[in-house]
Amino acid sequence: MSKKFWYLTKVSLKKKINSKWFVITNIILALAIILLLNMNSLINFFGGDFDNKIQITVIDNNTNSYNLLKENIKSFSSSLKGENEELKLTVNLSDKSLHEEESNLDNDEIIIVLNNSNKEYLTAKIISEEKIDSVTYQVLSQSLNSTKSAIGMTLNNIDPSILTEISTPVSIDRVVLSDENSVDENMEIIMGSVFPTVILPFFMLTIFLIQMIGGEICEEKTTRSMEIIISNVSPKTHLLSKILASNVFVILQGLLLIIYAIIGLLISTDMLSGGLSMPSDITSIFDSLVSTGFVDKLIYVIPLTLILIVLSFIAYSVVAGILASMTVNMEDFSQLQTPLVFISLAGYYLAIMAGMFNGSILIRILSYVPFLSSFVSPSLYMMGQIGIIDIIISIIVLIIFIYLLLHFGIRVYKVGILNYSNEKVWSKFFKAFKNKDV
Amino acid sequence: MLEVKHIAKYYGNNKAVSDLSFTVKDGEIFGLLGENGAGKTTTFRIIMGLIDANEGQVLLDGREINYNTTDRIGFVTEERSLLTKLTVLEQLKFYGVLKGLDERTIERDIDNWLEKFEISSYKNRKIKELSKGNQQKIQFISAIINHPKLLILDEPFTGLDPINVKLMKEAIYTLQKEGCSIIFSSHQMEYIEDFCEKLVILVKGHPVVSGMLKDIKEEYGIKNIMLRGEELPLEKIKKVKGVISVSKVRGEIEVKIEDKSVAPKIFSLVKNFNITKYDLVEPSLNEIFIEKVGGIHE
Repeated sequence: MSKKFWYLTKVSLKKKINSKWFVITNIILALAIILLLNMNSLINFFGGDFDNKIQITVIDNNTNSYNLLKENIKSFSSSLKGENEELKLTVNLSDKSLHEEESNLDNDEIIIVLNNSNKEYLTAKIISEEKIDSVTYQVLSQSLNSTKSAIGMTLNNIDPSILTEISTPVSIDRVVLSDENSVDENMEIIMGSVFPTVILPFFMLTIFLIQMIGGEICEEKTTRSMEIIISNVSPKTHLLSKILASNVFVILQGLLLIIYAIIGLLISTDMLSGGLSMPSDITSIFDSLVSTGFVDKLIYVIPLTLILIVLSFIAYSVVAGILASMTVNMEDFSQLQTPLVFISLAGYYLAIMAGMFNGSILIRILSYVPFLSSFVSPSLYMMGQIGIIDIIISIIVLIIFIYLLLHFGIRVYKVGILNYSNEKVWSKFFKAFKNKDV
Repeated sequence: MLEVKHIAKYYGNNKAVSDLSFTVKDGEIFGLLGENGAGKTTTFRIIMGLIDANEGQVLLDGREINYNTTDRIGFVTEERSLLTKLTVLEQLKFYGVLKGLDERTIERDIDNWLEKFEISSYKNRKIKELSKGNQQKIQFISAIINHPKLLILDEPFTGLDPINVKLMKEAIYTLQKEGCSIIFSSHQMEYIEDFCEKLVILVKGHPVVSGMLKDIKEEYGIKNIMLRGEELPLEKIKKVKGVISVSKVRGEIEVKIEDKSVAPKIFSLVKNFNITKYDLVEPSLNEIFIEKVGGIHE
């Protein structure tokens, strides 16, 4: 029987991989991922530049605050973009009239006009040819506010040393007493941007897996070849071979996505720096991840997450297989699989929004729930809301769930794959579910 | 030898098959007849081990059906059971391996089979690209590729032209000579009469007629006299006691009589007319089927 099992698995896997659609899809995916990771170079190639420096020209109408503003712009720009990053704003003082500057204004130039004000100490006008990106505007706005405060304090005879102390950002030493695993709030910001990207392929592969296993079983049913297959192998062997083949396929597809991403990064590195350094955005994200302890946690979380992902794939494919056995055509399966897709979607959103449920018992319980756990558990662990032991509990729950699914589900599967009628379908399957002799 | 012993299958209160028994000896072709929904498919599924009978048992060469014995069974289903996206070679290999053969043996045998059925050129073509008739041939080859001990044929000639029917008949007779037990099911009674010595007719899961074909015809009693001649005294024939009906069939007169004792009376009536044909024939299986199945419906 094991020979037939491996043969069924091999044929199922070969059919998926040898398909021209697999090749075409992967070419498209590879191109899309590589292009996305090299978007910067691509835009440069077509005449644009993410790294264009913005020229800020200051017309100071007797406020004598140009130098202070320049320092403030430099300071805020660094704090927002990271200390190691090259400053993209260059600031210079103009001795020309506003009219002259406006007539020669380019797209990457901004004019700031500083004026005195009796009531407000300082007023400013920001002029640009087109809209300014929000980060640059934020830098300019904060710098002007800070300059205004400094002018105000100077005019009110506040000591320069006191002024410096007032201007210095508050040093925050963040301590959370209630949970030693907790990390600072910065992690939540990082989780908000990094984690959705990391788990998106898993979500996509889950959907892919559900449709693939259902499609294959439906095809064998509708062509009536199921009767011949099932007369030679047991329904259990048949279902397990489909599960194995589909899971190997999605894992293979997942690995291919990683390879495409690595190729994209290598090309990006080569094009941008000509050396082995990473692109600045990725370096910046990586530095942030290291500083928040994210990378240290990855060492523990990666193996456990991989186990959770593989087990979740198996659970999803068992349910998809059982649902497919109950349907008589692909349209029926498309409808029946919708709840499963929604569960998966719920898991994905819960993982993204996990930070909002800080300390909630509900989200902790949801992290143990099969189908959701592979999305939610790693997310909560990275934010320090659960520990390793909770992930291990999720894994154990998932294993028990898969065992029960197979134990009871196979009864439904055995009846379902030979059923070609939509009459009293649920009553047939509930009966099969309860009947151990099926 | 296949032995089906008192099998019964219930779906709730509905009896799909009830107390059905028959045996098919080695090298015997057995007819399993019944109208649509009579329980034939359920019987085939029980024999194939796809579903379990509620009562009774099925033995192949004295052993209960399991996944080892099904390797020795071939099954041509009524509807085509082919994976249409596969090529002919892939399809035959797929079913062959599932029947316990190794890929090399199948590859070695495939060419012979394809040649025998005159479809060698389609070896690497996808099933969906083939005509219905050629698909039926592939289905037949996939059922016999394992040289089965038991072959179940459910409407095997669907979609075939007379030349291909002849090819398939020859293959079936070859298998019969090799000792294969064959169960044959068709709604075309002439095929059953051609092939089967023994049969059973199912009505709503019950066997209503069972036994050797010649005995069934004998027991049926009603005979037909086929007459060909000029100005035959049809009105007088109709009035003879024991005559059921008189009708014209393909230019001849068919006189249906209750039993063969009526035949001499008819002969004495027509012997002085210019007759070119007087033939006492057995009733067709079609007539018996309609009578038995229709009678129960009424």
